[in-house]
Amino acid sequence: MASAPAIAVVGSAIHAPRDPKQRSLEEAMYAVAKAALFDAGLSTDDLDGIVVGANDQLDGRAISIMMASGSVGGVGRDILSTPSAAEHAFVLGAMRIATGQYRTQLVVSWSPTAVNSVPEALKLGTDPYFHRALPLDELSAAALQATAIEHAVPGVREAALGIVVKNRSNGAAAYPDRSPAPLEQSWIGSGKMLRWPLTENMVSPPAYGLVALVLASAAFVKKRRLSSPAWIHGMGWATETGFLGDRDLANALALAEAARQAYRAAAIKDPTDAFQLAEVSDATPYQELLACEGLGLSARKQWRNARKSARFASDGSTPVNLSGGALSFNPVYCAGLVSIAEAANQVRGRAGHHQRKNVRRVVAHAASGFAMQYHTVVVMGADRREARS
Amino acid sequence: MTKTRVGIIGIGQSEFKARRDDANYPELVREGVALALKNCGRTLEDIEAVVYSLAPDALLGIGNAERLGVDAVGARNKRFMRINTGGSTGLSSVAVAHAHIASGACDLVLAAGGDKVGESGDSQTILNKIWDPTYERQLPLGTITMLAMSAVRAMNKYGMTEEDMARITVKNRANASLNPNAHLRKKVTIEDVFASRYIAWPIKLLDACPQSSGGCAMVLASERYIKENGLEAVWITGVAHCSESYFIGDRMGKGFVADHADAHALGECFERSYAMAGIKRPAKRIDVAELYAPFSNTEFHAIEAAGLAPKGKSMAMLREGAFHIGSRTAVNPSGGTLCTNAIAVSAMVRVAEAALQVWGRAGAHQQPNAKVAAASGNGGDHQFFGTMVIEA
Amino acid sequence: MELLTRRESWNIGYEHALGETASWFFVQIRDHAKLYGRRDPKSGRVLVPPRSFSDQTLEPTTDWVEVGPRGRIETFTIVYEAFKTLPDPPYAFGFVLLDHADTALGGYFRGIDLSDPAKAAEKLKIGTRVVTRFAERRTGDVLDFWYELQGNEPAAVGLQ
Repeated sequence: MASAPAIAVVGSAIHAPRDPKQRSLEEAMYAVAKAALFDAGLSTDDLDGIVVGANDQLDGRAISIMMASGSVGGVGRDILSTPSAAEHAFVLGAMRIATGQYRTQLVVSWSPTAVNSVPEALKLGTDPYFHRALPLDELSAAALQATAIEHAVPGVREAALGIVVKNRSNGAAAYPDRSPAPLEQSWIGSGKMLRWPLTENMVSPPAYGLVALVLASAAFVKKRRLSSPAWIHGMGWATETGFLGDRDLANALALAEAARQAYRAAAIKDPTDAFQLAEVSDATPYQELLACEGLGLSARKQWRNARKSARFASDGSTPVNLSGGALSFNPVYCAGLVSIAEAANQVRGRAGHHQRKNVRRVVAHAASGFAMQYHTVVVMGADRREARS
Repeated sequence: MTKTRVGIIGIGQSEFKARRDDANYPELVREGVALALKNCGRTLEDIEAVVYSLAPDALLGIGNAERLGVDAVGARNKRFMRINTGGSTGLSSVAVAHAHIASGACDLVLAAGGDKVGESGDSQTILNKIWDPTYERQLPLGTITMLAMSAVRAMNKYGMTEEDMARITVKNRANASLNPNAHLRKKVTIEDVFASRYIAWPIKLLDACPQSSGGCAMVLASERYIKENGLEAVWITGVAHCSESYFIGDRMGKGFVADHADAHALGECFERSYAMAGIKRPAKRIDVAELYAPFSNTEFHAIEAAGLAPKGKSMAMLREGAFHIGSRTAVNPSGGTLCTNAIAVSAMVRVAEAALQVWGRAGAHQQPNAKVAAASGNGGDHQFFGTMVIEA
Repeated sequence: MELLTRRESWNIGYEHALGETASWFFVQIRDHAKLYGRRDPKSGRVLVPPRSFSDQTLEPTTDWVEVGPRGRIETFTIVYEAFKTLPDPPYAFGFVLLDHADTALGGYFRGIDLSDPAKAAEKLKIGTRVVTRFAERRTGDVLDFWYELQGNEPAAVGLQ
């Protein structure tokens, strides 16, 4: 079987600006790009290319990459944009290095809150042919999916609430300087209903965030003696179809496919004990349930016991969302890339307050679009290995 | 050169028109896909990954419209991502498809997209929103005014005249009259161009591209797949991207790296593609160039950036008969972006047309004996450039 | 066969943070009718409009430099076609290299007869000296100023 050269994450930065008015969006991008390069011990001169992921409607710019380009080193360089999802920028960046044409790539994404209404902006994602007149925004789509899951697994709501508590507790420990989110289970479950069955406290409001990662080829890592790389062992990505009505919202088929691709490349046969940690999509707790199932970490029949399961707890054998996930900090558009960065940081020993010991291998999952339309899975590890193709 | 050679095995493009009221957006995308698959005898099941070509969402009036296009491109449960680099999106999408294969991730990849620019009502108003809200959005900047200002500088720097510009329109319309997929196919004279009204001085109506609707798709495959399946192909031997500063005012004044009269980053971009393809003297090696130029004046600096003429000399060369079909290097034998501009795919059409040329399948607008072709795409405020070299 | 269409419009508002650098630039315009650029230490260029970092060198910019009010035209165009939400034609705008600046700043050109394109283009040709004029009531915006040909009478308030 052919194998691609090894590629590693060698630097990252996750920014949660406290005061969005202090800096322009471009200045904030400049800062996060510089911070990731600094973390990698590299300068912009070392960059062979850049991939950004941004959403025009959130940014308020008809071509986000235009104004952004200069901020992240685009002048005189090769820069592309994947508006479909922030995590697609990561996938493309890694592939570009694997072609052998590039030694390094900077991957950047951001999710501003300058728009008057994030839901309104994202609602523009519905088609004008059939669905635009409906109150269908990302939250509604997530709610439809939650309903489908509750129907498929009666009584799962308790487990879902338990996940909110788990992730919020993790988030409070991981990032004590960020605003805390509600974590009292009874409060979460009985709060104001936003979109059935999601209460206001079962999700996190959109937050302003930016994230950047630096990727490098094995040859470059060796030549520049870069310390603490997180090697990409396998990547997979796939999409569901566009119309929600055409999908089985309680089953993430595209995630199964993305995981299959990633595990095949990483030569993983049994995911249940392959990872010391997982960072997965959790815009709602139901997403985390689907994610863990799709990644092969848990089976549906175990969901109801998820709350009692010690495995995914912060001190368990495979903590899920030790960073707190999107349930704690929700930079809507780039949350998936943040999950990848958080997982990479654990391998690299750069996870700060929430660093876990002896992390050899992790899995990151990102989902974007209405009701998890796009799924991306990235397996990373401390051992330098090539991904099999 | 990359480890894995990547070939183009299938091409499909709509007959571009102003409006397509008979098809909604996903159907238009499907049109290009169906043609491309038929062209190489593949089915949607064979495709392993899709790269979706879609420029500003606002032009379609649908946020992240690629999500609706998933079934049109047969991507359910498959690898899928969308690319947006403004006007160069179509070429960037093919380049990303190339990366999918050259990286070893896939063997068979589809790049596809479509546009219905005519439905947006007023593309310039939307394109005004590509400028930043801090400094420039309140100025009446649009792609037309921005490139009119480039023409003004080229007139000052090189003595380019309105007549030179008109000559490009005349050449491209004559080419388009031979191309059944082109949108504007009516031949025009220099007098016709001069008689057309000014939009933004010195750009007149006939110096400007139309708003076109239609779809385009290309199927790319690894050399191994092509050999195993006994398929015909043409080869992508060079690919690169490079960009400019976003600030137009920085491309003038004192101490600038790039002059707004020229296409500096496009020149650098071509240098990188040519280096990858091993081409040292493009003026001698390139038989056909499909260069993204939505306004007549911009074709000149694109020709020069492609190394086909020294800086400032392309106008005189055109006057002497260069760049026509049958000359050493045919430029935009399809009619170019000037005659067809479905923004999300216009740069893909450049690659498609370049590929058809070296394949000998360009029909009435074929450049005789074309073996090596160059293609380019421009995006943003003349900011993002992508280039490719395609060979038989 | 009846072909239907559906009319839609996008109606979303934004509150864009300008950041310190741009904010200071606009406050100087609003309160003092003065224009400034920021120097990029690596290339030495005074960038106008000012930015907190140079996208060419990726270094932070340093000192503020007062620029203008006079300058020279670097490029221009005259718009004769109407576009939605853009002003009624004809109007002229372009980029001006203000004295002491190294990059050009965009703005409208006013007080020029635009009825004959060729004559107007001649008046606005590259290198022409202009002077920046400021509105009496300013809000801290690029529309607070415009350019007029040096030697022209100032445009009467209320015109274009």
